[in-house]
Amino acid sequence: MNEARLRALLREEPVPGAAGAERRGLELVGRAYAERHPPQRPVLPRLAIALAVAALLAALLLSPAGAAVRDWVGDVFTAGVKNAEPALSGVPGGGELLVQSPRGPWVVRPDGSRRLLGGYSEATWSPHGLYVAAASGRSLSAIEPNGTPHWSITAPGRVSEPRWSPSGFRIAYRAGRSLRVERADGSGGNLIATRSAAVAPAWYPPGPHLLAYVDARHHLVLAEADSGKRVDATSASPGVRGLSWSHDGGELLEVAGRGLWLRDVVPGKLTGLFLSERARRLGLPGNAVLRAAALAPRRHTVAALLERHSAAGPRSEVLLLDPAGGPPRRLFAVSGRLTELAWSPDGRRLLLAWPAAGQWLFVPVERGLRLRAIGDVSSVFSPGRTEAGFPRIEGWCC
Amino acid sequence: MGTEVNERKLIREAQRGSRDALAALYAGHWGNAQRAAYLVVHDAGAAEDIAQEAFLAAVDRLDRFDRRRPFAPWLHRIVVNRAIDWARREALRRSAGDPEQSPAEVQAGEPAAGELMPALAQLPPEQRAVVVLRYLLEYTPGEIARMLGLPRGTVNSRLRRGLDRLRDLVEVEG
Repeated sequence: MNEARLRALLREEPVPGAAGAERRGLELVGRAYAERHPPQRPVLPRLAIALAVAALLAALLLSPAGAAVRDWVGDVFTAGVKNAEPALSGVPGGGELLVQSPRGPWVVRPDGSRRLLGGYSEATWSPHGLYVAAASGRSLSAIEPNGTPHWSITAPGRVSEPRWSPSGFRIAYRAGRSLRVERADGSGGNLIATRSAAVAPAWYPPGPHLLAYVDARHHLVLAEADSGKRVDATSASPGVRGLSWSHDGGELLEVAGRGLWLRDVVPGKLTGLFLSERARRLGLPGNAVLRAAALAPRRHTVAALLERHSAAGPRSEVLLLDPAGGPPRRLFAVSGRLTELAWSPDGRRLLLAWPAAGQWLFVPVERGLRLRAIGDVSSVFSPGRTEAGFPRIEGWCC
Repeated sequence: MGTEVNERKLIREAQRGSRDALAALYAGHWGNAQRAAYLVVHDAGAAEDIAQEAFLAAVDRLDRFDRRRPFAPWLHRIVVNRAIDWARREALRRSAGDPEQSPAEVQAGEPAAGELMPALAQLPPEQRAVVVLRYLLEYTPGEIARMLGLPRGTVNSRLRRGLDRLRDLVEVEG
């Protein structure tokens, strides 16, 4: 083959759905542009900016959260937290962790004891931690936390993003690109959408069986899980890759790489729920990448894990945001890359993953609790394996 | 030269808040960005996501963009690096024993691929990427080396191996 022929083949190869993709992309990019680049910006003198920054820093350091930062920043450096505990002897604050390692998911009990559930690639808790739904290839399985399997079904595509409903009676999951729901006894299920975006579905917490997901056209959809009927749909926020409900179902958090949007969900006059067409963008520092974010249990606080880059390398910080307004509280910061964030069931701690240091950090959100760091996490979940990847936190339950 | 001048003007106007200028930039670059991603990842949905993310990154950094620099290489660097990452992750998933559908299976019902895609699929993502950068986007090996953070010799060897493999796999007219 000559080079001219190769050039022609590369130019002529049909790209499936190209026209629709271009239209959707333009809509998305246009919205992001409208939000981020208003036509006129007030130009502040440098002195005013410097004073504002100084005031903000002073406020952070004088606030309770800022005081905590001031204490902790002195204790951490790029290699990890000093004096990390060498082994996981218990889950700080209690509860059970579900952790995905290269060997499969592990359940970590409050006393730190662990059980490997088998060769599954993803897992999620049922309500109250009674069961685990686990995916492996095209199989979806329900397992007890002691490893006893209950049932397994074969899906029409690779199973991913399983999510157990708050009622305990349904499991939503993606099969290939489709979105499906299975009854929790494995006795059957139904198709919700033939094509969905690579975003985990999120169950409406108060019930009944309503599910939020992002479809292939980048619409945020609220659907009845048993019929697949769309209750409401609107354009999803730009670049959304995660969804998280507030505990009362009144708000839906849309998490993207460059921003966080909170959307009101309101009951209709007669019946049903409606997604607000406009989502509020939560204020984040402009030069940071959002690594992870989640709404706290039983509260409306959002924890956001951000990363900034400088010549010295990445720097991570955790902000607590109050959707009602006010400046963010800077809870924690390190020189290094934190990758994950999970709330404890009681909302009093955050679990942060620090792969480069091999550590998990249990960071208190409330005063009076102690920061705890657990070291050598990879080898705990992949004993005897040298190629072990850092384990992924799938959930912290009950 | 005229194109470059026009593009600088569009970037300047987009930085000042002109939606028309942004739309013109988008129209001028979306097609190649999406096509490049698709040729590397072989998955239309993923390619759309990757191209969208690249443009969103462009919007995010528009205020700080140096107008003296051309826009396309900056955008293509993001697209191709993300496409390589995506393709590597998919390959890892499959090699871990995950019998996920191949992209061809996933996209059943969509337009059939031409003769090139099965051949490109035989190349590792890194080789696909340099082939796409060289023969679709028309970058020189030196430019590709800078975009991917690779030694120029590595780019040349990937190009040579990729072309040799494609010659073996694609039946072509003289």
